[in-house]
Amino acid sequence: MAISKELLSLLLLVFYLSSIASSSFSDPDSDSDLTNELVSLRSNSESGVIHLDDHGISKFLISSPTPRPYSILVFFDATQLHSKTELRLQELRREFGLVSATFLANNNGSDLNKLFFCEIEFSRSQSSFQRFGVNALPHIRLVTGSTSKLSDESGQMDQSDFARLAESMAEFVEQRTKLTVGPIQRPPFLSKAQISVIVAMIVIATPFVIKRILKGETLLHDHRLWLSGAIFIYFFSVAGTMHNIIRKMPMFLQDRNDPNKLVFFYQGSGMQLGAEGFAVGFLYTVVGLLLAFVTNVLVRVRNLNVQRLVMLVALVVSSWAVKQVVYLDNWKTGYGIHAYWPSSWQ
Amino acid sequence: MGAKKASPDLLNSSFSFKSLKLKTKQQELLLRVSILGLVYVLAFIARLFSVLRYESMIHEFDPYFNYRTTLFLTEKGFYEFWNWFDSESWYPLGRIIGGTLYPGLMVTAALIYWTLRFLRFFVHIREVCVLTAPFFASNTTIVAYFFGKEIWDTGAGLVAAALIAICPGYISRSVAGSYDNEAVAIFALLLTFYLFVKAVKTGSLSWALGSAFGYFYMVSAWGGYVFIINLVPLYVLVLLITGRYSMRLYVAYNCMYILGMLLAMQIRFVGFQHVQSGEHMGAMGVFLLMQVFYFLDWVKYQLNDTKLFQTFLRITVTSAILVGGIALGVGTASGYISPWTGRFYSLLDPTYAKDHIPIIASVSEHQPTAWSSFMFDYHILLFLFPAGLYFCFKRLSDATIFIVMYGLTSLYFAGVMVRLILVATPAVCLISAIAVSATVKNLTSLLRTKQKVPQTGSTKGVGSSKSSSKVTLDQSQPFQKNGAIALLVGVFYLLSRYAIHCTWVTSEAYSSPSIVLAARGAHGNRIIFDDYREAYYWLRQNTPTDAKVMSWWDYGYQITAMGNRTVIVDNNTWNNTHIATVGRAMSSYEDEAYDIMRSLDVNYVLVVFGGVTGYSSDDINKFLWMVRIGGGVYPVIKEPDYLVNGEFRVDKGASPKMLNCLMYKLCYYRFGELVTEYGKPTGYDRARGVEIGNKDIKLEHLEEAYTTSNWIVRIYRVKPPTNRL
Repeated sequence: MAISKELLSLLLLVFYLSSIASSSFSDPDSDSDLTNELVSLRSNSESGVIHLDDHGISKFLISSPTPRPYSILVFFDATQLHSKTELRLQELRREFGLVSATFLANNNGSDLNKLFFCEIEFSRSQSSFQRFGVNALPHIRLVTGSTSKLSDESGQMDQSDFARLAESMAEFVEQRTKLTVGPIQRPPFLSKAQISVIVAMIVIATPFVIKRILKGETLLHDHRLWLSGAIFIYFFSVAGTMHNIIRKMPMFLQDRNDPNKLVFFYQGSGMQLGAEGFAVGFLYTVVGLLLAFVTNVLVRVRNLNVQRLVMLVALVVSSWAVKQVVYLDNWKTGYGIHAYWPSSWQ
Repeated sequence: MGAKKASPDLLNSSFSFKSLKLKTKQQELLLRVSILGLVYVLAFIARLFSVLRYESMIHEFDPYFNYRTTLFLTEKGFYEFWNWFDSESWYPLGRIIGGTLYPGLMVTAALIYWTLRFLRFFVHIREVCVLTAPFFASNTTIVAYFFGKEIWDTGAGLVAAALIAICPGYISRSVAGSYDNEAVAIFALLLTFYLFVKAVKTGSLSWALGSAFGYFYMVSAWGGYVFIINLVPLYVLVLLITGRYSMRLYVAYNCMYILGMLLAMQIRFVGFQHVQSGEHMGAMGVFLLMQVFYFLDWVKYQLNDTKLFQTFLRITVTSAILVGGIALGVGTASGYISPWTGRFYSLLDPTYAKDHIPIIASVSEHQPTAWSSFMFDYHILLFLFPAGLYFCFKRLSDATIFIVMYGLTSLYFAGVMVRLILVATPAVCLISAIAVSATVKNLTSLLRTKQKVPQTGSTKGVGSSKSSSKVTLDQSQPFQKNGAIALLVGVFYLLSRYAIHCTWVTSEAYSSPSIVLAARGAHGNRIIFDDYREAYYWLRQNTPTDAKVMSWWDYGYQITAMGNRTVIVDNNTWNNTHIATVGRAMSSYEDEAYDIMRSLDVNYVLVVFGGVTGYSSDDINKFLWMVRIGGGVYPVIKEPDYLVNGEFRVDKGASPKMLNCLMYKLCYYRFGELVTEYGKPTGYDRARGVEIGNKDIKLEHLEEAYTTSNWIVRIYRVKPPTNRL
């Protein structure tokens, strides 16, 4: 909420400052010339997303007579807002490019020239933003061939339409334009060349590795390495890190009532925040390691006073940690765990 | 678990033993056996809370299918069961039961039943089914004892048995009445592992054979056997890498793998997967690698020339890997080896299921685990686990390596899916038992040998004579006595908290049958909602025997088992398209849904509705999954149509499609006239805490047939088409 308000005021300010000189000196270009120009622009741009400015907007959308033979899907971008990660502008722009590339790859007839993917950038095309009536990002708008007024918001892509990124964007496009985009082709994580290099390296390295393994002198024979790996996996699991990854949980939340306050602990079982899991996982691990330390390392210390002191500290820390975890768990789940005593005792 | 620690005191102070004139060893044996006996009983009775609080009945969803098939098995015999084609579910497709289930559980229960009949105990098969899970949990404690003894010593074994007897992570799936595959599978899993570890330790063919049979039992009982067939090769691989290859390992693995594989192929549901599916290829690869190792060993022995051997080694290893890689590549490309299934893949890449398989992601037990669930199911075992790991690494052997690997892999999987906490439980109990046992043993021996020279006599502490020869860890503790006492008190306090936690959790959280619901009334009294059974019995008594009932798949097993009526889809989610069709019908307008229902010959529609009682896992809350699953197959159904700004609502602000879809209409039909809560308007939905948006619902093609006393289950009759003029 706060962000869009901030953006709104910023944009309004800019609009007052910017001149509203809308000029529509249109050449009597025929439709096909415009289309051809778009095609050539598209072939020069990365993944087929045409970068438009105020001039381009007026040329291809305002001055051209409706119905136009093409639709344009516009992505509204603002470089100055890329730092605000919660808007996900860069991610959405990447996905937008992906939809465009997929559209290009899957169409090669007359359909290809019926839809163009464009983006405009705020700092260079402020008047276009105003013309479209865009005052909050992220914003994606489809201008169909029959749309005469740019401020007509019917072509706006809803929040839910880019919730599932490229896939849902493509669905939106297919639904509105009756064109096919096809299944999204995401670039593989590793390119083919990279994979073949890695495979070749593995194949070459294998005999050497095996030789060392047989000799028994690798890192793998180090107990401490295995132990720390094991403790790490334990920590990773019990801290609910998989939960954080799968659910994409943030480390902490902002309090709704008081934006300056941060919420680190989420009440309610089955859900957790990132930092919360790590804190509790840390408490778990500390107690266990202290126990192992006290019974295995501390006994080798000669000085009795040191032993006593360390032991005392270990006991205090452990009991504090256990208490804390139990308290947190009861608070989180809302259960009051108690013992069952014989009724005659009460 | 208190029993083990009590032993030194008993040994010191008990007069009865002295008067019986038993030798120390006999005393120890007597103690051990009686502790085990008590733990065995404890494991059983702790699981009877559900019977005490409710009644002796089958719980939840899947167990009803298991119960139905077991009943069939005991009535018609094994061959009928094996060839059973069930036309009462998945109408009109039907389902081949014999070929699509793991028969281990049913056969086990039937065998127990027949044995009891043979001994002239005339019990009902339902009681056998209800008590199968506690019985096998008791058996698991015995296996845990032997396993603990194998990897550490008898003390650890006893503690492990006691810990696992009441561990909530295990109890959650093995209370009386939860007649599910896991009930016997955890026993089989632990048995297989124990026998395999024993085989690796002794190199004996008979133990390996036992392990193969344990594996066979596991394969017959639960799909989780894939965990064994991947963990065991992984363990062998780690042993190979760390230079622990031995003849014992060779014998154990080869025998277990080959025999286990051949036996597993006898289960029709598994079939040739061991040689065809990608999930099982790791085991085969390790099997071949073992042969290469053995061959190299032999050549080395023959050659006596290191340089020549090195060259030979390099050539062999490279070519073996190349051949293996090519075979795998060709097999996969030609389709002979099937790629990994979605469920397996989602374990390795946890984000996979969410994006690709909504039917897996929709099940609540497939959700990732938050820390509180770990705490709830393991309690102090979590604190003890790292200590146990440390002890294991201090005394590395083939057996401890195994338990560490088992613990870590299963704990990782438990983090991915809540239900897999169950698989990790035995390992967590065993490793924690090592921590408890080793600590307590060190401390008590210190207390007892205080007067003697502090550097001796620690190993015989609690009388675990068998392992004393190889105990290297238990250094004498030069602690002061008070330090040891403080630590002991701390450990005992923790263990007593564990016992309290486990009892409470078992009694309050894990004993609910979920087919009968309980709630606290305004005055703290318990209210029982028995609506499900009411509805199913109504179906059984009041509908034609060939009636087809459409409901969401969750209730399919219960309707066939208790209502004895044909269902369209059930909990065996084998045909996604069929489920999607039902999802589509539920999320369409009534007239569109009517066409779908006509095409499926549906006579009755059953929905579960919690708006009156505040029961939150009802069909409205599951509705988005119906839309997602339906939309996955039929693109006409779009999730955004049912949402308002990404939000799921049922009140006035809900989307028009939502307010008029079949599910909404069936759930809220006549609900607008009802006052559910004092001081609230009519039509106030207590499960979602809102006033509904469409109070005037008219049904055109369906009519209300039955609504249970608390409105939890509502059944509608599909009207026949009107006469054509």
